[in-house]
Amino acid sequence: MKILIIEDDRSLRMAIYDYLKMEGHICEVAGNLFQASDKTNINRYDCIILDIGLPDGTGLDIIKELKKNKVADGILILSARNSLDDKLLGLKIGADDYLTKPFHFAELSARINSIYRRNSFLGLNEISFNEIKANTYDKQAYVNDTLLNLTKKEYDLLVFFMTNRNRIITKESIVEHLWGDEVILTDSFDFVYTHVKNLRKKIIAAKGKNYIKCIYGFGYKFIEN
Amino acid sequence: MIAGGVFLYFAIRKDIYKQIDNSLITEKDIIKDQIEQTETVPDSTATFDHQIEVELLNYPVHKLQVIKDTVLYNSDIDENVPFRYYFYSDNIINKNGYTISIFQILSEKQDLLGTISIYMFGLFLSLFLISILLNYLISRKLWSPFYKSVGSAGNFDVLSDKPLDLPETDIVEFQQLNNVFEKMTQKMRVDYLNLKEYNENAAHEIQTPLAIIRSKMELLMQNKTLKKDSLNLIKSINEATTRLFKLNQGLLLISKIENLYFHENKKVSLKEIIENFLGNYREIMEIKGIKVELEVSDKAIVEMNEVLADVLISNLLSNAVRYNINNGYIKCHIDDQCLIITNTGLPLKTDPELLFLRFHKVSDNPQSVGLGLSIVKKITDNYKMKISYSCTGNIHETRLNYRVK
Repeated sequence: MKILIIEDDRSLRMAIYDYLKMEGHICEVAGNLFQASDKTNINRYDCIILDIGLPDGTGLDIIKELKKNKVADGILILSARNSLDDKLLGLKIGADDYLTKPFHFAELSARINSIYRRNSFLGLNEISFNEIKANTYDKQAYVNDTLLNLTKKEYDLLVFFMTNRNRIITKESIVEHLWGDEVILTDSFDFVYTHVKNLRKKIIAAKGKNYIKCIYGFGYKFIEN
Repeated sequence: MIAGGVFLYFAIRKDIYKQIDNSLITEKDIIKDQIEQTETVPDSTATFDHQIEVELLNYPVHKLQVIKDTVLYNSDIDENVPFRYYFYSDNIINKNGYTISIFQILSEKQDLLGTISIYMFGLFLSLFLISILLNYLISRKLWSPFYKSVGSAGNFDVLSDKPLDLPETDIVEFQQLNNVFEKMTQKMRVDYLNLKEYNENAAHEIQTPLAIIRSKMELLMQNKTLKKDSLNLIKSINEATTRLFKLNQGLLLISKIENLYFHENKKVSLKEIIENFLGNYREIMEIKGIKVELEVSDKAIVEMNEVLADVLISNLLSNAVRYNINNGYIKCHIDDQCLIITNTGLPLKTDPELLFLRFHKVSDNPQSVGLGLSIVKKITDNYKMKISYSCTGNIHETRLNYRVK
């Protein structure tokens, strides 16, 4: 996937760059509006990660420009402001998703993948990992074509794992992914544990392998042994 | 004024007595002259009101004169009547003594005194009333700028931008008072705004460094060459960062509520919000074995901001879930006035009112930041709703009256 990172804070920009590169994406960076529109005018990206508060203007202008040129790049807004207005306005003028700082990389990765799947002309509504398949269209998961009877949260969890394979996924990021960060629900880690346990049980029952590895104290890793 | 009245009464009385006494003495002098010159007793013109008794004695007496009040019995009206009594005894030169007793009725004089007193009293009373009325009218006019100033100072609200409505006045003291009020409230407002701005900026500016810390940490976490003790260090850092993040998020939310950031109100169905929440947490509750009883009226519609309504209900219900015991229950009753959430839980160790304070924690859980209920309080205060929390044994009850206006 080809990704453009537009973020004014150098430290954060480089962290996102490093992580996405590690995930195997091709990344470019821009630190301000000028550099950003320079790049978006020449190149096409599968996804543009866009910080709204830039030193020389608002990132919303880039979205307007892209939409005016009928460019179909996926756009993920990144904002420290957690402001509803920015969110609604951004989504209204054509951004695909919105993420509030500070975020978990696993969440960023899941959002980028989800945008990519939705925007792709190939009808990529299937994520697969060896014998496990998840259909993002009808929200069902299969092990070797055996339908898994998953609850909504378990399905979300499985997709979250599959889009963040071979990475440590923290319990915090799972909580935020499953329940959102509006509610300050702090000791839901037990519930994560229970959900993971149930998910693992159902996969094994359908003759799948156990790919969910527990990393003590941190969270989990979805990995082939 | 009363003292003046009493004084006047006694002054007049004294005057009248003096007059009576003088006339008695004059009368006595006339009689005395006659006795001493003619040694005969003058004809007594005796009426009941004015009686004179003269007695010639055949022995000498001491010279004596007495004036005093007395009463005589009047058989006509069957009543004792007050008199002034004058007694005088003396000797005719080198001869035997004589006595003169004169009784002068006082009733007429006393009537006069009474009438005067009544008039005086009436006059005083009306003067008194008039002066009170005048005083009241004058002070009302005079003090009206003062009361207006005090009233508008009392209504001063540091949250609103409305300037203090202080009346124009020519009175120097009141003008000074107004100036002081003006300066004080301006100072308060500026201080408050500074503090608020500081809080907002602090919370906001912390977001980006936090995002950097978290992202770098997650990068570090993925490093496969890390040893176990390094991973443990990262784990602690991760926990602390998460806590800081939650804290900051809560404070940001509070400052946004204070700033009326969520000002767009619309009709919100509490029923929908509750059902949404329960749907989202159904599995958690199943895991804990919590039974839910729902008694929700369709009329539970409230005019407020959608986001805040969601935060409010979610915080209350998530507390009911979080502090519940295994195999407990949550009863949620809502009508067109009240939302009552009853749930099982461990007995409360602190005063329920304290729960609404910022950073007040009940649980020993280090992940709990203690902001949830103070956010709830902030929201209910904003909409002038009433919220109360009570706990009897292991039954907790949260009562939200959302129709108080």
